[in-house]
Amino acid sequence: MTPDTDLISRAAAGDHFAFQTLVERHRSMVYRVAYQFAGNHHDAEDIAQEVFIKVYRSLDRFRQDAQLTSWMYRIAMNACIDHRRRHSPAAAAPFGEEAELKMLNTPEESPGPEETTYAGELGDVLEAEIARLPPGQRLVFIMRHHQDLKLGEIASSLGLAEGTVKRQLHAAVHRLRRALSTANVTAGGGA
Amino acid sequence: MSATCQQLESGAVELYFYDELPDGSRAEMASHVARCRHCAAALEDLKVIRTALSTRPDVSAPISGDWSDFMERLDAAVLTDKTNVAPDALAFRPSTAATIPAPVRSYIGLLATAALVAIVTISVTYLARHRQVPLNQQFAARPHSEGAAPAAAPQTTTAQPVATTGMRSVGEQHFERSKLVVLGLASKEPGEVSVADWAYERSLASTLLSDTRLYRLAAEERGLTSLAGVMRDLELVLLETSMAEGSDPAELPQIQRLIRKRQLIQKMDVVNTVGLLP
Repeated sequence: MTPDTDLISRAAAGDHFAFQTLVERHRSMVYRVAYQFAGNHHDAEDIAQEVFIKVYRSLDRFRQDAQLTSWMYRIAMNACIDHRRRHSPAAAAPFGEEAELKMLNTPEESPGPEETTYAGELGDVLEAEIARLPPGQRLVFIMRHHQDLKLGEIASSLGLAEGTVKRQLHAAVHRLRRALSTANVTAGGGA
Repeated sequence: MSATCQQLESGAVELYFYDELPDGSRAEMASHVARCRHCAAALEDLKVIRTALSTRPDVSAPISGDWSDFMERLDAAVLTDKTNVAPDALAFRPSTAATIPAPVRSYIGLLATAALVAIVTISVTYLARHRQVPLNQQFAARPHSEGAAPAAAPQTTTAQPVATTGMRSVGEQHFERSKLVVLGLASKEPGEVSVADWAYERSLASTLLSDTRLYRLAAEERGLTSLAGVMRDLELVLLETSMAEGSDPAELPQIQRLIRKRQLIQKMDVVNTVGLLP
């Protein structure tokens, strides 16, 4: 199998087949991240498209000693943020102390846990609540919980202070627990 | 759920759960959780969350499981990315060259050559020799289709094949240019389009608009309803673009919605596949 670094060099030189091979090799990972963030196929496809277009535009800037998957992962994360910012500018403020507060208090506009409890499983309730999390919290939670990245790795990947990442994770978990609690009460204390 | 424990408020339980605490603090926290019902409940919740989410399907492919649409869309976007740079290159603005990515740079020479050849060919073989042939007569010179009435007998048998060739050549050229404009509009990121970009798109759309209208009218006249429909949609998009000020951030998303709603790119792909003139 041709190493990724060779494919990048060839793609950067204009070899479209090499670029396609790169995409085929990494599209599942990118799509998974995009879907976990977006929660639906339509947006996940858009995000994944954006990721590979950005990869294409940045091919000649890729450092050969860097890890391609990490590089792509970071592009994917930024694409998730950009996507949310374009579709919901008010809710997708950039990271920062002030913006962080704003994000913590700005839920997405979609049905709350009360409305989704009857729809079925606890997983559904949690997924719905994850979708309602402000983008910063959602991103950090997904990276920690789904991608199993350490807080330090998340901070480094997103260019944030580790303390900010901790606060985002704490806020996300707090909201999920609250959703869980509401679901349990609504469902009669079960779950 | 009400938190009354400082450890819980600080987020230490999450760090404990995710194994992010240093060894010493971890042992301390384990001891604390064993005594504190709030933290114990939080830890239990985290376990429930993990269990519940672990049962969710791992989605790593489009809903159909088929990547072909995704790859086609990406190819089109990459192609647009390349061609969007072409006008800069053709306008000989060396200051932009340094910012053009390497994969794009390698295509600029080809695009410039192709554009030059196309302009010369069309100018010489069509405009110089068949400028006087009416549009409807040019359409009448090819076999009819889509249930259209048989074509009227051509006025001059010698002009017929050349007129058809010229029409096809110009039509396809026009169609390709229009498609590039549509692809460019569809892939632009709202809020990131400069005033100069907008001015360029607007002038390109205005240039293509009148010809598109003529093609649409000719197609309607010949009963080519599908082609006329595509041309009508294209005309609408070009019209919207030619009228856009570029100052309203809602303009581009509106045009993009129109392109999506009318499925214009897919329709133009179909026309490309079967040919502009059957």
